[in-house]
Parts: sequence; C-alpha cells; structure tokens
Amino acid sequence: MTAAPPHGHAHRDAPSDDPRVRLDEAAGVFEPVPPYPPRTERESEFYTLGDGEMFINMGPQHPSTHGVLRIVLKLDGEQVVDLDPVLGYLHRGVEKLCENADYHHTIAYLDPLEYISSLFCEWPGVMAFEKLLDVEVPRRAEYIRVLSTELNRILSHSMFIGWMALDLGGLTPILYGLIERDEIAEMLASLTGQRLLFNYLRIGGVNGDLNHDFMSRLGDWMSRATTQIEANLTLLNENEIFVRRMRGLGRLDKETAFRMAVTGPNIRASGVALDFRRGHPYSVFPELDFDIPTREEGDCLARYLVRVDEIKQSLRIIDQCLHQMPDGPIMAKLPRLLRPRPGRAYAAVEGPRGQYAAYVISDGTDQPFRMRIHDPSFVHLQSVGVLMPGHLIADAMAVMASLDPIMGGVDK
Amino acid sequence: MDAALKRRLEARFGERLTAPIAQRHDETEIRIGPGDVPDVVRTLHDDAELGFILLADLAGVDTGTHMQVVYHLWSETTPDWLRVVADGLSRDDPRCPSVTFLWQGAEWMEREAYDMFGITFEGNRDLRRIYMPPDYQAFPLRKDFFLPDDAARSAGAGVRHIEQTHTPRNARPDRVLRKVGA
Repeated sequence: MTAAPPHGHAHRDAPSDDPRVRLDEAAGVFEPVPPYPPRTERESEFYTLGDGEMFINMGPQHPSTHGVLRIVLKLDGEQVVDLDPVLGYLHRGVEKLCENADYHHTIAYLDPLEYISSLFCEWPGVMAFEKLLDVEVPRRAEYIRVLSTELNRILSHSMFIGWMALDLGGLTPILYGLIERDEIAEMLASLTGQRLLFNYLRIGGVNGDLNHDFMSRLGDWMSRATTQIEANLTLLNENEIFVRRMRGLGRLDKETAFRMAVTGPNIRASGVALDFRRGHPYSVFPELDFDIPTREEGDCLARYLVRVDEIKQSLRIIDQCLHQMPDGPIMAKLPRLLRPRPGRAYAAVEGPRGQYAAYVISDGTDQPFRMRIHDPSFVHLQSVGVLMPGHLIADAMAVMASLDPIMGGVDK
Repeated sequence: MDAALKRRLEARFGERLTAPIAQRHDETEIRIGPGDVPDVVRTLHDDAELGFILLADLAGVDTGTHMQVVYHLWSETTPDWLRVVADGLSRDDPRCPSVTFLWQGAEWMEREAYDMFGITFEGNRDLRRIYMPPDYQAFPLRKDFFLPDDAARSAGAGVRHIEQTHTPRNARPDRVLRKVGA
C-alpha cells in the first residue's frame, strides 16, 4: 500500500525524490497526515506541526478507544496539544436503512446501534412512531419498559465502571463488572430472548409479558444486588491510586457542558440536575420516586461517582416497578401495516449515556420518510477535543473513558 | 402543548415566521428562513422567558423539493420540545448559517448533515466529511440516492452501484422520489 506524500502542509521532507518510495513506510511507520491538501481551516491548522510537536496515530484498533475509533494526537513530549478524531469505521447508514424499511422493521435496525444499551436505542424510535400514530401504550407495557430499561442501565453502568478501571490499568473491576452484566444479560435474555440485542420494544407495547424464569432470576438477583454492587465498588472507591488519579482530571464546567450539548451523567457530574426523566417526563416516570444524583466537580471522578449513584437509584425504580406493576394488556391494538398520517414527531429518553432521541417524518406511507437518530456518544466524543488538550496521553485515555462513548452509537 | 410558549414565540418572532406555529403532543414547531437562524437562535437562547439553553438535536432533511435544517431545543421554562425548522434551502446548493457560535457541540452534527445531505453550514470551522471517506462524492441521505439492496423497495433497487448518484434509466422517479409537504 503506497500512500501519496503529504502536500504543502507536510511537516517534514520526503526521504526520497520518488514519491512512491518512502523510507519510513518501508520500515512500517504509519503516517497519520492525510494524503491530500487540507480542506478546512481547522484541518490545515491541526496538520501543521509547531516547534517540537509530533503526531501519534491512535487506533483504529487501540483497546482503549472502546471500538473502532482513530484519534490523531498532536503531542508535545507526552502532553496532548490537540487531537483530531477520525470516525466512520463502523458507519452502517442506519438512518438510510430505516427509511427503506417499514415501521415494525425499523426497530431491528435501531437495536444494534449500541450493543451495551440496546433497549435505550429502541425506545425513542418506538416512542416517536407512537406519537405519529396517536397510540396510547398500556400501563403494564410502560412499567415493563421502565423495568427492563432500568436493568439495562445498571448493566451499562457496571460495564462502564469496569472499563474505566481497565483504561487506568486496573484489571480486576472489569471481571466483577462482567459478572454483574452477565447476570442481567441472562435475566433480560429470559425476558426478551436475546442476550445482547434485545429487540424487545414494539410499537404500542412490548414483545412479551413477564415470565416465571425472568421473575425468579430478578428476585434472586435483587436480594443480593445492593451488597454485591457495594462490594464491587469498594474495589475502586477505596483505591487511593484510582481516586487520586481521577480527581481533578478532565474538568468540564457547566457553561462548557451546555456549549458542547452534553447530556446525561456527564452534565450531571458538572452540577446540572438535567435528567429527561424529570426534565421532560415520559412514560410512567412521574409516578416513580427517585433522586437525580449530581456532583459539582465536573472531573472524571465526579462522572464515575454519578454513575455509581445512578445504579442505586435504578435499583429503587426497579423495586417500585415490581410493587406497582398493574395487570392488563402489554400491547395496544394496532393494524399489521402501519400508515401514520403525514407529520413529524420527536421523542427522547434518558439513557445511561445521555439523551437518546429520534426524529421521524411520516409522508403517509408505510415507511418513515426521514428517520433521524440522535446518539449521545456522538455528541460526547467531540467534547474530548475540549477536555483532552493539556493532559498526558495516559490521562487523556482516562478522560475519554469517563465520557463513556460507544462507537456503535457514534458511527451509526 | 404549551399555549403560553406559542404566544411568547409569536410576540418575539411574529414577522419572521414563514408558517403558522404548529403544536402537537409535546412539540412546538416554528418555521423560519435560513437567513434568520443566527438571530432567532440567539434570542431563543438568551431571552430569560424562553431560555432554550440545550441543543437537543440538529438534523438535515431532504423533502424531495428542497432541503431543511431542523433544530430541537430544550428549555426549563416549557414542557415542550421546540422544533426550529430552517425551511426552503435549495437542493442544488443548500446553504445555512452555522450555530457553532452558540453551541460548539453543533460542529459535528453540522458535519454529519453536510456529509449526508451536502448542506453547507457557513461559519462552521471544520466542515468536512465525518462518516464517509474524504474522496466520496455522493450525499447518501438525499432522496435521489438509491439503495441497491434487496431491503430497499425503491424502483431503482438492484440496478445500480451504491455510489452512483444519477437516476437509473429504468427508475420511476415519481415513485422513488417521495415528496413530503410536511
């Protein structure tokens, strides 16, 4: 593979007159500078090296990028000066696929957007379709949705805690996190039939009612969940290396958070009590009693601790769901072929990473005319450009991990 | 539906709205020309009675006859989502002012809309492709871009390569290029 030499903005001379022969390529060195002239002001600014600076290409297969992400880092020594994330390695064109599928089929495309919190990817799409169709979802179905998604939130946060520690060099917490995740995944598998991509929500309800297998697994797990999770957390919360390294790292203040359109636990760690379950209530959340944990510091430790507190609140919600679960149907009565009236609908839910949203335009046929999917990971990943500069490479990875982006959602 | 919000919006932007304010469920929709975007968005953000501080989403839309840029905003002052539709961008050269002066986080969302629809956001410092390769020519989410896949039920299905942008000879544009008045 021969890359063309960099053009006018090249930072060093080609080692040979012949552009096809490059000594560093022969030695297996990958050149992160793109082989074409810069197209924007920002690109030419980034790909021009200052005194003593160098490029490091990280990814796409770097373990701490949480998927296939490439980041070109501009370094001064070991300090990050600037960075340019390169996306698209996982782009599947989900929006286009949705526009060519009928409304029921779309749910299966929304599902694999994110492999950690699939139910949250389905929910806004389904909710937007219900708004277009003016369907009222049965209350039992709403409670089952809340119950299953809160379980999914705990699953996601357990994985986050493990990954966070893994990116800082601690191997043990991910093993405990995976134990937690596996129990919940098995539980949801007995409810939905799938371990990873649940494909459980339906337009107007859910796919299946609560069954004995699920309830016995859930009861078993709930009886020891609090102590089990507390025990896992002491691994990190009382680990001085972890806490001192996280404190003060990657500080995100309120104004910057709003400027970068950050939502979810990341903005709550900056002292803003913005949670769409309360800030823009949907489903049966107005009937449920829970707190919105916030932290003032806005650093990596705060983002970690907010998620820890959220797990406890999710357990509270699950407990209330089980006590208040009404009897009744789990699906609204709807025709097989859905043709909503022409119109537009927007729906958003509060996921483990922030605002998951869908914007749907109907033109009266059985396929959505336009299906826009908003994923919080995409929005949060661009704030690494604000948070990383000034940190060492190793800390920069911790900053990225604390924002918890999932590349499946980023690349859509 | 928040009637008070509707009155406030009408009082602020009365003459700039290109269509009556539409409300349905928990959504309020206003339509403006693309040139008014910076002013309107600035007022929505800064005015204490409106206070739309969070950009929830930015999307491009190809209606088949023209392009739109759609902003969804969230505020504490209202239980509604506010949808701002910058309407009537030409399909040949869609241009819209950037909102990155207010929300830096819009930068990547605008890059995405550029990548998928070819909408040029004036004032965005880094408007290049974000998902597709840099040498890619087409804009995949436009309505005249066909999927060659069996999953697509378009009339052009199966007759063309995915990266061709022209309409195939045997395609029936009236069926494929769905136009929406919404």
